Amino acid sequence: MEGLNEILAFVKGDVESLEGDAASIEVKDSNRPDIWSVEGIARALRYQLGTGRTREIRVAGKSGLKIVIEKRVKPIRPFISTAIVRGLQPSEEALKGWISLQEKLDLTYGRKRKRASIGLYQADMIASPLSYSVAKPDEASFAPLGSETKLSLREIVTNHPKGTEYGDIISRFEEWPILVDGEDKILSLPPVVNSNDLGRITPSTRNILVEVTGTDTETVHSTLKIMVACLAERGGRVYSCVETYPYGSPRRVVSPNLSPTLTRLSLSRINRLLGTSLGSKDAARFAEKAGYRVQRVSGDTLHLEIPCYRIDIMHPVDVIEDIAIALDLNKLKPEWPRIWTVGDLSAETIETETLGEIMVGLGFQEVLTYVLTSTEVVSAKMQMESEKAVALLNPKMTTHTVMRNWVLPSLLEFLSRNTHVDYPQKIFEVAASIERGEDASQPVRGERKVVAVTIHAEAGFTEIRSSLDALLQNMGQSFEVKTTEHPSFLSGRCGVIVSACRDIGIVGEVSPKVLRAWGLNLPAAAFEVNVYQKTPSGV
Amino acid sequence: MVDVSQSQARVLQALIESEGAKTPDELATRSGLADSAIARAVLTLSQNGLVRERVEKKTELTLTSEGKSFLEEGLPERRIVSTVAKSGGRLGLGEALSRSGLDEKYASIVTGWISRKHWGRIEKADSDLQVVVDTEPASDEDEQVLARLKSGSVILEELPANLRESAQRLIKRNLLEARIRNLREIEITQDGRNAVAGTRARQEVSLLTSEMISSGEWERVRLRSYNVSSPVPQVFPGKYHPYLRFLRMVKRKLVALGFREAVGPLVETAFINCDCLYMPQNHPAREIHDLYYLKDPSRASLEQYSDLVKRVAETHENGWKTGSTGWRYKFSLDESSKLILRSHGTALSVRSMISKDLQIPGKYFAIARCFRPDMLDKTHLTEFNQAEGIVLDPSLNLRNLLGILEMFAREVAGADRVRFKPDYFPFTEPSVELQAYREGVGWMEFGGSGIFRPEVTEPLGVKVPVLAWGLGIDRLYMMHRKIRDIRQLFTSDLEWIRDQTVN
Repeated sequence: MEGLNEILAFVKGDVESLEGDAASIEVKDSNRPDIWSVEGIARALRYQLGTGRTREIRVAGKSGLKIVIEKRVKPIRPFISTAIVRGLQPSEEALKGWISLQEKLDLTYGRKRKRASIGLYQADMIASPLSYSVAKPDEASFAPLGSETKLSLREIVTNHPKGTEYGDIISRFEEWPILVDGEDKILSLPPVVNSNDLGRITPSTRNILVEVTGTDTETVHSTLKIMVACLAERGGRVYSCVETYPYGSPRRVVSPNLSPTLTRLSLSRINRLLGTSLGSKDAARFAEKAGYRVQRVSGDTLHLEIPCYRIDIMHPVDVIEDIAIALDLNKLKPEWPRIWTVGDLSAETIETETLGEIMVGLGFQEVLTYVLTSTEVVSAKMQMESEKAVALLNPKMTTHTVMRNWVLPSLLEFLSRNTHVDYPQKIFEVAASIERGEDASQPVRGERKVVAVTIHAEAGFTEIRSSLDALLQNMGQSFEVKTTEHPSFLSGRCGVIVSACRDIGIVGEVSPKVLRAWGLNLPAAAFEVNVYQKTPSGV
Repeated sequence: MVDVSQSQARVLQALIESEGAKTPDELATRSGLADSAIARAVLTLSQNGLVRERVEKKTELTLTSEGKSFLEEGLPERRIVSTVAKSGGRLGLGEALSRSGLDEKYASIVTGWISRKHWGRIEKADSDLQVVVDTEPASDEDEQVLARLKSGSVILEELPANLRESAQRLIKRNLLEARIRNLREIEITQDGRNAVAGTRARQEVSLLTSEMISSGEWERVRLRSYNVSSPVPQVFPGKYHPYLRFLRMVKRKLVALGFREAVGPLVETAFINCDCLYMPQNHPAREIHDLYYLKDPSRASLEQYSDLVKRVAETHENGWKTGSTGWRYKFSLDESSKLILRSHGTALSVRSMISKDLQIPGKYFAIARCFRPDMLDKTHLTEFNQAEGIVLDPSLNLRNLLGILEMFAREVAGADRVRFKPDYFPFTEPSVELQAYREGVGWMEFGGSGIFRPEVTEPLGVKVPVLAWGLGIDRLYMMHRKIRDIRQLFTSDLEWIRDQTVN
């Protein structure tokens, strides 16, 4: 397994599990659909290891199949691209792999079929020309995959499992896209489902029609290339088709386009980025190992062919990385950068540590709590009515639905889980809370605060106020405490902390109502104070 | 001289004052010490020869149930003479018994004792007996003995001679019960007397007071010795949270390596968190199961970034001037302005790069609280910390990135060996995974890194290579503390926190 992992490093892969001769592999590169199949991984490894023969992926000839695009598909799903692959002899396993690649492409690269989706058909049963057209949901019917009986398009979208999964993509339109052959047989309802007879591939299928529809022309063409290149690795010969559009440009498209892209890469750029001193021969050798064809080297420049299936290459750095992987990262000598810089902690960290020093000196245990919490915690249990906390659009757990607008509730929640532990308990946290801001330029405001609670049989205002005084005096902050009322604190034993005419916090004895809500049976006193001079703004 | 403790001294003092042997109970009453203290003191004193213990057989007297009732209501003969005296000095026996509330069966007993004690006369009139009492007699020895038994038991041998006889009588009358018991008595020895004389000069105290110190009296008194090996009450110091302490250690290491700490907000725009990192807007990692979006407010103004937004948008759409093809889609400003919770520390690297204070050469790091919509389990937190950083300089290359990773593995993770694997991030190319080997632990993934793509740096106005790294500090900490469940990082188990050592 270790050996397999070493080889798989070339494709950024890792063995997840190994059973018998079946390995489950995780491929990290989410931007390289060409290696989302056994065929693709094998191809990449053949280049890297120099084992076996690499196949040239090219168009063998014209299939003669024509696809006529109807104008009315334009607003729904405007693009289609097709090819025919002949001479296949798929094993059950190969078939499973193709379906799995198709699903992965639909899901990830095709964005759950919204952007692009693939259909595979029995090429021999289909008569040219194909028509990529539309039909009213109740006026066309065919037997979808897994069904022996004909269903209307509407029935398919309503009842078929694929219909319920992907029907949303087309259901808002009055007419839905269909693919029909020269003999008026319906091939599919893109992007939902194929016909049960034309659109089902079996081990006896020799010739396959690959079709991709979608909303983005580039994605549609790239998806076709990936699928076709995979079939070609199994010995299939690729034949082109002609699509005729009544819109856009060009009107007549021959697909697939499997010709490589030419690019130039300077040797000095490679060496500069990698910290190497490769000669042009070495660089060319590693580029070939990475699956590029080197046309020629002129001076400092490599002329490379990028294979058609490498749809991830956007920039020369992508090629340079492949060269680095091919020469093996572990053969590069690590070197600590020879630059001189002054390190330092942020003012915020220094201040946090200083505050921590005082609080620890006062006998408080530092704790760590979550910023995400619930209105139950920050409002209901604290006997607060309004729910001011900033809420998440997509919470995942009922206990984590808002960002806390104050920290004390988190500390009381902590104490509520420790009623069996020796008292006195004195805890503190230097922590963040989030409040709504004034306007769109500052939609939320973050504050960092020192929050402390003491709970034991004799806990009271004087004790917590003494700690607060000690903290603020040592931080050199002048302040006063003025009587106030707060639903979470006992009336007459609660004060607002004022500094430079600004409310910076609250101190008092926690209301028994709040204590009961948290299942606490001992008196508690607490403060929450913002002592930071400079607080980072929300956004 | 023998050491004498405070309580021992009080026992000796009590013995001297009482002038004779005493039982432990008596000593307790006299000295005011608790029984257990007496027992301890006597044990030591007798071992040191300051007291002698004697065990003697003595007769302990207690009341029978009849005796108890007579103690409360009076002896029957007393009740009869009392009744008769109040009724004019003469009364028929039957009448006297019934008026005194006594049963007929006491007739012979009372007549016998009245005669014997000479409390009255019994006269015969016809067939009836009459009781005659001239004056009510004072209480006799029998009654005195009973009175002494009010508080429990008395020792027969300690009663005055006249009462001893009376006690024997009451035993015979079945009002008292006699039991022979071994009684401990403590007696002071001559050594004990000498010790008392000595300790009068040097009194033992336990509390050292301010007065004693300033007056110098502490030198004249004896300070009690403590048993220093016995257990004491447990106290819990205030201290730092173990995980935060670890993060501070990591920060110190990074500062020592020349890194400057960056900070930034928890709530970010999709622009900073994703767009500036060249993550396409329709990328799966930007969907709602990978990012937390805010409900209200949901958008921020991007006005302050106007030129930057234009460059980033163009880079996404067509590569701008970076030499890239771009992602080739229509960039949405609305998507950019969405408010999200920071999902990775790399957002802070973006902030460092667009800061007006950016220095080149420069090294920056941040330990950032990040958020992702995951359910909490053994290996996932929805809120966690990431250590991230960047290094900027015109001279930098991939080998420098490896050099930084190697240094981190040795300095921060204490690794013995490192190795590198190709990795993937949308914002770096090349990308490298760091694996660190530690004796006894094996290989572990310790970080992800790479060189920022030109599509990231150039729109931000950075024209030099930027090495970017992130370290798996959570896993490192879990390894240090032998923690298997990541939720333990944010534990609310106060006992566990108190138990953690600080090293």
